[in-house]
Amino acid sequence: MTESQFDERYRLPPYRMDDPGTRKRSRFVADQQRELLANLKRRPATIAFFEGLMDAPLQDSSPAVGYFCNMIPTELVWALGARPVRLGCGNPALVQPGEEALTGDICPLAKSSFGMFMDPESRANKCAAVLMPASCDAKRKLGEILSDYKPTFVLNLPPEQDAHRYIKAATLEIERLAGFLCDVLGRRLSRSRLLDAIELSRRRTAIVRAIQELRARKPAALSIRDFHLMIQASFAGQDPEAWLREARRALEEAELFEAARKRLRPRLVLTGAPIIWPNFKPLNLIEECGADVVADTLCTGAQSCFDPVVYDEKSRGALMRALAQRYVFASACPCFISQGVRTSRVIDLVEEFKAQGVVNYALRLCQLFDLEAYRLSRILKSRKIPFANIRTDYSLEDTEQLRVRLEAFLETIMEEK
Amino acid sequence: MITAGIDIGSTTTKAVVLDENAIMASLVVPSGNLPGQTAVKLLARVLEEANLSESDIGAIATTGYGRRLVEIGDIVMTEIKACAAGALAGEILGEAPGERIHTVIDVGGQDTKVIALDDAGDIEDFSMNDKCAAGTGRFLEMLAVKLELSYEQFVEEALKSDTMLQMNATCAVFAESEVVGLLARGVAKADIAAAAHNAIASRIASMARRVGQRGAYCFVGGGARNKALLKAIETTLNHPVYAPRKAQIVVALGAAIGARKRSGGKDGE
Repeated sequence: MTESQFDERYRLPPYRMDDPGTRKRSRFVADQQRELLANLKRRPATIAFFEGLMDAPLQDSSPAVGYFCNMIPTELVWALGARPVRLGCGNPALVQPGEEALTGDICPLAKSSFGMFMDPESRANKCAAVLMPASCDAKRKLGEILSDYKPTFVLNLPPEQDAHRYIKAATLEIERLAGFLCDVLGRRLSRSRLLDAIELSRRRTAIVRAIQELRARKPAALSIRDFHLMIQASFAGQDPEAWLREARRALEEAELFEAARKRLRPRLVLTGAPIIWPNFKPLNLIEECGADVVADTLCTGAQSCFDPVVYDEKSRGALMRALAQRYVFASACPCFISQGVRTSRVIDLVEEFKAQGVVNYALRLCQLFDLEAYRLSRILKSRKIPFANIRTDYSLEDTEQLRVRLEAFLETIMEEK
Repeated sequence: MITAGIDIGSTTTKAVVLDENAIMASLVVPSGNLPGQTAVKLLARVLEEANLSESDIGAIATTGYGRRLVEIGDIVMTEIKACAAGALAGEILGEAPGERIHTVIDVGGQDTKVIALDDAGDIEDFSMNDKCAAGTGRFLEMLAVKLELSYEQFVEEALKSDTMLQMNATCAVFAESEVVGLLARGVAKADIAAAAHNAIASRIASMARRVGQRGAYCFVGGGARNKALLKAIETTLNHPVYAPRKAQIVVALGAAIGARKRSGGKDGE
């Protein structure tokens, strides 16, 4: 048995909240977002499939394993015959319960995610275990808090993305994660099943890249909101083969789209904090203000599936190393010491996708993204790349202010054209 | 060409009818709870004042937070763009500072903006207050009520004081309790009123520094009519600030100018 990371002497009974009002409100929020999306001019015929996955009950045929962030190699979960379910929560209705139990002064993502665990009926509580990278301070401590609810593993990350210096430690940490999963699920990790799982995720990467490339040519073919919805549906713990089939269909359908006129909308690169269903507020605003997001670096958007796992040989050690390279050293998360990975990525995307500006989504109370905005804005401005910072949380009260800010930004971009 | 600009703000709605380089008529009314209807009525009234009918108007632009609430406009623009255009129209306002305007400060009822302009008068950058009423006209109005002073008295009192008390002004509601605390400690109303103005001025100066503080400064919006606020801003920026007499209608004027530009073929779509 892997040794527990938490002090067993201080285990607490879970703090629960059985509140049908909150449950109803959180469903209502998702319904409102669905209604908003229903008004989109063009959507894939298969979009209902992806929307359905967002709140489909987890099937009992195989165990579900919850995880946070974009640094958990979900291939390990698949390889062990379980379903990875990404638990980072975007539901504004669950912020307050989380705040009630923890504190107001942490980001809404952490609060709402914990709010989800407080509800005994939530999908979070259907998971056999929770995997949490020690990315930001909130996640680090949330791991310990959640260990009272579920067997929890906190994945340690190196402070710097210097693979030369830290690859060994990161690979060992992934081995340790594999050991934890084997214990919790009572299964053994087979190398051939891990190879199959890597292949599965590479197929997802291929589709996400193909859609990204298509949207760069024809942004009107698929809304960024539907694109992110599709991506996030693949994290919902449902059948990956079904997702691949439907995503392929959506791609083929979008390929057939031919615009009647030249697209004049400003093209933007979106960077910053995760934007999680059903809180698509920043995406709604950008599209409503008349701009296209042609590329993003969000860990909940195209970036999440963009890098394939690349291995040089098929030994277990080489596969684990490949997972570490992909999940730790290619991450654009601001939790690492240097913001170089993200900054380079943003600049590359602006060039590659011919974007006219960059919007940074700073999630209120996420200090890491907030602090990175200071340098990012100056670096981009020095390169004459127009930059706007949108600093907000899950609530809707500042929508009109943000709209003015975005529209004015787009006005200045269009005048510079 | 005659054009009109309507600035539908959170507190007041402003309309300007513009003929070449002269304001033919302008009006300011409270926005009320149906700002869309207010704007429609205001347009009719301002046209009447100018002795015009709607068919005389070449183009109408709407701006302000209610810019999309009405369908009377031909074009919609943000108040950032309108504000910059209006502030630079010294020849129409009939007054201008001695040097080129590089920073425009707009204090409205619901938000505060600082806009940086380049030498050509194009928008270089801008900053807006975060959500909530802190740093806005409404913040001062609320504190005046708390001090049991009319708004005019509140401004007069602030001008009398030479003190510089610390007040936070990050939250309008908490500021009220801060005021209650100061009153309980026997602090003079004049000093509290000055503290409130200084707190807002200091926030505005921060915003100005963020977008690259550079004179001349132009101060517009309803807040610019407040002499105590003007003085406080001049102190924190350590620079004279120009507030046109028609400060409140500058954004509506900018919208009318924008409408003319747009329909005149230049910048047209």
